[in-house]
Amino acid sequence: MMPGTFRSISTRLATRVSQPALKSLLAAALFLCAAPMLHAQDWFHLETSTGADRIRIAVADFKPQSADPNTATCKRAFDTTLFADLNVAGIFDMVSKSQLPQVTPGVPAEMNLQQWAAPPATAAMVAFGNLSVQSGRIIVNGFLDDAKNTQFPQIFAKQYSEEASEDQARQIAHRFADEIIARLGGGITGIAETKIYYVKQTGENKEIWEMDYDGANQHAITHLGATSISPRVSPDNSRIAFSSLSRDGFQIRMYSLLLNRIVNFPTAPGANISPAWAPSGSQLAFSSSRSGRAEIWVSDPDGHVAHKITSFGRDASPTWNPKTGSQIAWISGRTGLPQLYVMDSDGSGVQRMTDGGYASSPSWSPNGQFLAFAWDRKYGPGAPGGQDIYIMEIATKRWIQLTHDIGRCDFPSWSPDGRHLVFSNNPDGHADHWRIMSMLADGTQKRALTGSGTDMPNWSWK
Amino acid sequence: MSTYAHPAPAQQNIGGGFVGAVVLHIAVFAALIGAALLHPENTTRWGENATSVGAIQASMVSSIPLPPKAPPVEKSVLTEENVTKAPAVQQKETTVAPPRPTDLLIKDKTAKNPKLAEKVVQEAVKHPQPVPDTPKAATGAAATQLAQSVTQVTNGTATTSVQDRAFGTRYAYYLRIVGNAVSQNWYKQEADPGASQGKSATLLFDIQRDGTVANLRIETRSGSVSLDQSTMRAVQRIESFGPLPGNGDRVTVEYKFDYHNP
Repeated sequence: MMPGTFRSISTRLATRVSQPALKSLLAAALFLCAAPMLHAQDWFHLETSTGADRIRIAVADFKPQSADPNTATCKRAFDTTLFADLNVAGIFDMVSKSQLPQVTPGVPAEMNLQQWAAPPATAAMVAFGNLSVQSGRIIVNGFLDDAKNTQFPQIFAKQYSEEASEDQARQIAHRFADEIIARLGGGITGIAETKIYYVKQTGENKEIWEMDYDGANQHAITHLGATSISPRVSPDNSRIAFSSLSRDGFQIRMYSLLLNRIVNFPTAPGANISPAWAPSGSQLAFSSSRSGRAEIWVSDPDGHVAHKITSFGRDASPTWNPKTGSQIAWISGRTGLPQLYVMDSDGSGVQRMTDGGYASSPSWSPNGQFLAFAWDRKYGPGAPGGQDIYIMEIATKRWIQLTHDIGRCDFPSWSPDGRHLVFSNNPDGHADHWRIMSMLADGTQKRALTGSGTDMPNWSWK
Repeated sequence: MSTYAHPAPAQQNIGGGFVGAVVLHIAVFAALIGAALLHPENTTRWGENATSVGAIQASMVSSIPLPPKAPPVEKSVLTEENVTKAPAVQQKETTVAPPRPTDLLIKDKTAKNPKLAEKVVQEAVKHPQPVPDTPKAATGAAATQLAQSVTQVTNGTATTSVQDRAFGTRYAYYLRIVGNAVSQNWYKQEADPGASQGKSATLLFDIQRDGTVANLRIETRSGSVSLDQSTMRAVQRIESFGPLPGNGDRVTVEYKFDYHNP
């Protein structure tokens, strides 16, 4: 293992830096960083602070309109998924199911909006509809009504038709939820149809897996029988870049989701790890020690025209600015402990972002404004605190801490709407107990998506 | 055979013994061949079918006689083949709603007729009066019919209205979203409380078809530079309000912010 690989990868695969060296580094880092830390500000206004209301929305149970035995299971999957999607979106004030009127309107003619606008529901919006299974196909009619507009209540109506199965019922619910969010979100796009790619420990091996954004439908993508880590899906969802341990050491591998097989990517000497897609999909940044020291390299998606853009060694975990595609944030250990840096994508304009501690695995928010990363601010033996997820506003370098006291957290990844983060968490310190969690980008609504043995999540771009 | 068992004495009688053995062998073979010739066996060989010579016939396992299947025991619960029907789904009982407090008859102690003021009968106006064009909000429910959305925030009131009345009534929800989005992106600490107290700024901007903001300008300055700035910034922070409903290409929105710190 090369010395420049950081904790994001090294603690699970290689040994740490020796303790005496660490102590001296820590002492120096603490001394140098004591003064600026005093002025570090814990909070900036990410929250709404004005007290403006969220939209109160009621989701009626959909009305079953067929006697097919599949109807009940499909309806249950649909209802729970739709409610969960809108709840997780974080832009609605959901009316609890127990407060809904005891009716299930299936079509707009059966809808009595006064009933829903009155307490205790007091809904501003009502989503309702009907569901039927006919000759192996599930047909869903969904409606969204504005309960406050008696004159023109209907906002939209949609019909969906898919093969009848529980999984398809869930997918339809995702699509309907995204449609509601697109209309009511005020410019926020829904994420209910997005995927999360992650690493799953299967016995000795680690394979790349895929799941829906809510943790359902988990299934394997690769079957290499090797240790594969850090999956990164391309912006058009057609390929996954990851690094895999083979007899040549760690090499970047490329998996095509269209062909369902590994496609060619040239091998290079040394360790080649942590790939990252440019938002255009035409470039790939990764860390490679082919020239001796670990540097950030940029190549095209086929691995050709690779060129080095850093030159001080110990550089890893690049991530592109998804908004502009002209900047790269990465982790560098050029001054000792790994720190977070930002540079232009040609390697110029290097700027250090963190003032100390141990930073790893950055992820750039879709609007280009924030960096999420894992940070152990007081790194060293006996130091207080632990590794947690932080967000930094790039323009001001102010940061907030999103996780507290839930064990080690690592590998944050932004959702495409820029409002959620997925990360891996180790609740009890046991090396096999890493799991994937998601939360809103203000640190609320934390929930586990997977069980033990899962790690390194990556949220798809759309 | 004795020649091999006793090699030493066999040395003398080897010639006679050898001839005897040869004769015995020939006799045995002759007897076998003769028996075969005399009694030619015409039975079918094992596996050979008379009609298809050269093929092997395999008989199906089903032809093997098996003991007959025992009939199911009718009375036993464990071997019951006819599963009892699942109970029919019970219809939800329609429960009677609990009585509301107003339903209970509480006898009023003072059942006397209350004194009423004399009704003032307004005389009908002789000339027809012009009816005002704008509908006035009498209650909260009626207010939503206006092409206007009012958002209460911690230190002020934001009023959003569109100039296109038809759009405002048809897509009232969109207007509420616009009002909410601007209010959410408005940072109260940006406006100087002392200078802004009781003042109001009015902005005008267009929302384009894709939901982006264009043509942002201040219509009425509040007199407090920080309040003007902060309302401007609130709109500038917004990337998109979401695609415009309906078929219009753009809609012009007036956003008025009244600052009043409690």
